Amino acid sequence: MEGVFNYAPAIAVFPLVAFVVALAFGNYLPKKGAIPGIIATGGSLLLSALMLAAVASGEVYHETLYEWAIGDATSATDVTGIEFTFGILIDPLAALMLVIVSLVAFLVHVFSLGYMNAEGETGLPRYYAGLGLFTFSMLAFVYADNLLMAFMFFELVGLCSFLLIGFWFRTKSAPSAAKKAFLVTRFGDYFFLVGVVAIAATFGTLQFAGDDSFVAAAQTAIDDGTTLFGFDAQTWVTITGLLVLGGVLGKSAQFPFHTWLPDAMEGPTTVSALIHAATMVAAGVYLVARMFGYYALSPTALAIIAFVGGFTALFAATMGVVKDDIKQVLAYSTISQYGYMMLGLGVGGYVAGVFHLMNHAFFKALLFLGAGSVIVLMHHEQDMWKMGGLKEKAPVTYWTFLAGALALAGIIPFSGFWSKDEILYDAFIVGLEEPIILAAYAMGLVAVFFTGFYTFRMVFLTFHGEPRSDAAEDPHPIGWSIKAPLIVLGVLAVVAGAANLAPVYKLTGLEFTFLESWLDGEYGAIEGVTYGAYAELAHYDSGFIGTEETTVLIAAGLSLLLAFSGAGAAWKLYNVPEPVVYRDRLGRIGDVVEANYYQDEYQVWLAEGLTLPLSRAADRFDQTAIDGAVDGVSTASLFGSDRMKRLQTGIVTNYAALIVTGFIVLLLVLGYAGGWFI
Amino acid sequence: MVLVELPEWAALAPMLLLAGTALALFVIDSISPRSTNRTILAGTATAGSLAALAVAVWFTAAGVGAPGMDGFGVIELFDGQLIVDQMALYFMIVVAVVTALVSVASYDYMEGHAYQAEYYSLVMLAATGMATMAAANSLVTIFIALELASLPSYALVSILKDNRGSVEAGLKYFLVGALSSAIFVYGISLVYGATGFLQLDAIAVELEALAAGDGGDFGGLLGLGILMLIGGFAFKTASVPFHFWAPEAYEGAPAPISAFLSSASKAAGFVIAFRVFTTAFPLDVTTELIGVDWTVAFVILAVVTMTVGNFAAATQDNVKRMLAYSSIGHAGYALIGLAGLGAGSETVMGAAMMHLLVYGFMNTGAFLFVGLAEHWGVGRTFEDYNGLAKQAPIACAALAVFMFSLAGIPPFGGFFSKYFLFTGAIEAGLLVVAAALVVNSALSLYYYARLVKAVWIDDPVVERDSLSQPTGLYAAIVFAAVMTVVLLPGFGPVVDTALDAAAVVVA
Repeated sequence: MEGVFNYAPAIAVFPLVAFVVALAFGNYLPKKGAIPGIIATGGSLLLSALMLAAVASGEVYHETLYEWAIGDATSATDVTGIEFTFGILIDPLAALMLVIVSLVAFLVHVFSLGYMNAEGETGLPRYYAGLGLFTFSMLAFVYADNLLMAFMFFELVGLCSFLLIGFWFRTKSAPSAAKKAFLVTRFGDYFFLVGVVAIAATFGTLQFAGDDSFVAAAQTAIDDGTTLFGFDAQTWVTITGLLVLGGVLGKSAQFPFHTWLPDAMEGPTTVSALIHAATMVAAGVYLVARMFGYYALSPTALAIIAFVGGFTALFAATMGVVKDDIKQVLAYSTISQYGYMMLGLGVGGYVAGVFHLMNHAFFKALLFLGAGSVIVLMHHEQDMWKMGGLKEKAPVTYWTFLAGALALAGIIPFSGFWSKDEILYDAFIVGLEEPIILAAYAMGLVAVFFTGFYTFRMVFLTFHGEPRSDAAEDPHPIGWSIKAPLIVLGVLAVVAGAANLAPVYKLTGLEFTFLESWLDGEYGAIEGVTYGAYAELAHYDSGFIGTEETTVLIAAGLSLLLAFSGAGAAWKLYNVPEPVVYRDRLGRIGDVVEANYYQDEYQVWLAEGLTLPLSRAADRFDQTAIDGAVDGVSTASLFGSDRMKRLQTGIVTNYAALIVTGFIVLLLVLGYAGGWFI
Repeated sequence: MVLVELPEWAALAPMLLLAGTALALFVIDSISPRSTNRTILAGTATAGSLAALAVAVWFTAAGVGAPGMDGFGVIELFDGQLIVDQMALYFMIVVAVVTALVSVASYDYMEGHAYQAEYYSLVMLAATGMATMAAANSLVTIFIALELASLPSYALVSILKDNRGSVEAGLKYFLVGALSSAIFVYGISLVYGATGFLQLDAIAVELEALAAGDGGDFGGLLGLGILMLIGGFAFKTASVPFHFWAPEAYEGAPAPISAFLSSASKAAGFVIAFRVFTTAFPLDVTTELIGVDWTVAFVILAVVTMTVGNFAAATQDNVKRMLAYSSIGHAGYALIGLAGLGAGSETVMGAAMMHLLVYGFMNTGAFLFVGLAEHWGVGRTFEDYNGLAKQAPIACAALAVFMFSLAGIPPFGGFFSKYFLFTGAIEAGLLVVAAALVVNSALSLYYYARLVKAVWIDDPVVERDSLSQPTGLYAAIVFAAVMTVVLLPGFGPVVDTALDAAAVVVA
């Protein structure tokens, strides 16, 4: 199987070609660029699956393909010379992610035939070009073998999301949302870049894996007790790790950088599916998983990741409860779910975090595409209060959406349950020893209730009850290009959980933990970037209540109980023929939540109330003090020039007099200095 | 190496070729008096100067004047009255290049004027004088060479006999020149009185002997003599306060002659200053005798000259006069080469030499553009030049190159020479001079950019007829522009040559 890796670059290059083709010839192609996109992502999917198979057969791939700059600076750890390269790293994690990304991208392309082409959108070549570039960037990011390359494609992912969120650039809101997404994530990326530079300057390498990786170098530095830039090595690793985390928080929309994501719903729904499930937002969490060894060296960084994750999970879930727009609900659920992943990774649950990343990719793509399908059905109406009763009229959409909702809510045995439960279990056992993790766990646990509630509120409002508008009475028909992706993802949302039935293993001893052994390198892996290696680095103490079995049962029972009560509450309130708005009963709290906790307001205030006056002051200083000084200099120069010109009188006797005077002055000066006159 | 077999006097070939060309032009004139055959006259002058240029380049490349194994050593002639070393050849190259450019440009400029043969022969004689200045190694030969360069220049400035401005400028130039020559020759006599020698090396030896012995009695006399010599150089280089002739002479003279005087004549003035002060008056010995460091005089002159030149240029309305003042400002920059010698740094003198070479192209080119404008008859002020770029884009692009290079903007040659001057001044510890250089350069950008703006951006004040494209002027301008640009990539050899030449002289 080794030869198959020679085709690895093609995984990313295919969508790039599709991008070029769609951009250059899109207008002349039958489906305006959709066909090249589908072929390219299909090819990527096929090759990714081959890579997965190759890794499963025990191979890994780690090659530097192109070296574009070599520096001869000496790093703080006395490594001389640094190489900046493009390279490919395909290990179990990357192979898994490649498959997820290319699968979702492929399905989104297919879905777009029904969602964009059939709806007669204009500017389709631009749309498909954007999708192609987006997929290319993400795939290249996924198998980047060093942090700088990852950073470059991370940025490119951000650019693509800007282009696609602002696809309907003639509206007022879409360009504004695109700008917001770009600026907020860029603010985080600024810290990321500083972090990349800091890591490069510290360790002289940016490789993710292998003996000369910065992870290995950091570990050596900590073991040797090296002092780096005035800090002890572990503190420095924490600082640099948190700088990189800035980019992660921005892209994965974690508190307080989550504000861009709900606005990003202004993009086409297919783009939302791609952004939320497999590309933009996933990139942040994937980066943490990719350099997990580095974070594992720093308990502080891990605790921060866990706490931010737990907080974001709860925070976003509460906001999802009061939204009326179906896409808004999904947007907040995305923020919340990525919070869970961060929580999982932060407590050292590498497998749990990656597992949830995978499951979420499937069910969130499913839910967004399902929402897209609903939007088509509803003639582009997104307000859930105008829907209702779509269950009978669109059974495929309903049943697949329901599967996704069950997975999202974490109802056993759908995929979301298994991964979310594993995250909460990991957090729980660590939390028994570490109070701060326990707090994070508690927030994650409470969020389960809200998740169940908003998910089923959405399902019931959309599909159940009586139709509440003309559009809902008479939905627009949908085609197979919409249904097929839904079915594929619906099946995955149901069964993907089987990849890692950790509770089953712990209770019965049956080896249903395929993903764990996959990530632990039982098939093939690079030394040091396996779950086992990370577990050794991140020495969290963990405790149990009673035995391991009882702990598992308590954790799973708690989260299931909350999920069911959330879903049940939604059932009670909204699964009625004529649901009513309960918002007013929440009173002041409702106002605060509906206003998204004033997060936008304070960020706008930071920009308009704080930064803008500062810039104005700087501008005023520039206009008056600096410009005034400059203008003064030029006025003085011109005045001096005018005087100087008058020396030239045009009368030659004056000249002779001036020459002699000048000469005598010079003579007096020098003669006095030299003592000639004594 | 064929050169070994040539007699020693052959080292003077560039100078002799220029003199020969002048004589050849006399012959042509006597065969057909009042000839207006511009092709033959300009052609002869160009061919002669190009031949001198080729020989000088060849000698430099072959290593004449270069010390050590691969060179022929410094060649002294007539008991050291003349000397051919790298610096002499370097400045002969500068003079020959400018002469060639001027001859080519004059082909069109002098069309329809009387005294064609006289014009070219005077140019060649002046060039001979300047080349001799480069090689002169004794105060006597220096004075003779200086007069040989000056006297034809007076005549050349006033060669447009029907033009009042030209005649008046010539007379003023002559009067100021006479005054300056008087001061200069008086200085020579004082130095002779103090030392008893005229040959530069001999003066240095005598000064050392005086310093070692009890020769302090003549300190003031010697100091006054040196100061008067500086006056003579200041006249030739158009430095303050001996600059008064320059704006009027440059404005009144035919534009090619302005170019000739402001580039070649200035360079020749600098070469004798460089040679006299490095050879005859070693700094430490002279300081001991006259009680004051003579570089102080050059520090003062440099700062005052660049400030007066640039400030007076800033608000001129007349383009030629602006260029005349800018030329004074550049003399101030080049004076840094002598001002910086105090710190024993040959870099700064090498930088000044580089600047003079680059200046030979960019300033000649700029004056030739003015010549082109006079040829078209568009007028003399900035406003008259408005919008020329629409009708003559090539020449105006060249003008932009000259202006930006004069202002010292990368990537043109003027940037690099100025940059070396700046770093040289800082190395020599002359922070005041370096600061003055920066301030003046910034100011100079103002008036240089004004001209570029006038030709490229502003709209013409009056409608113009279509403009002709005189071949000779265009060729000279374009060549100068190209050289201004390619001197950058080709700066390596120039830098090496200039630094070597400076090092040999300073050591």
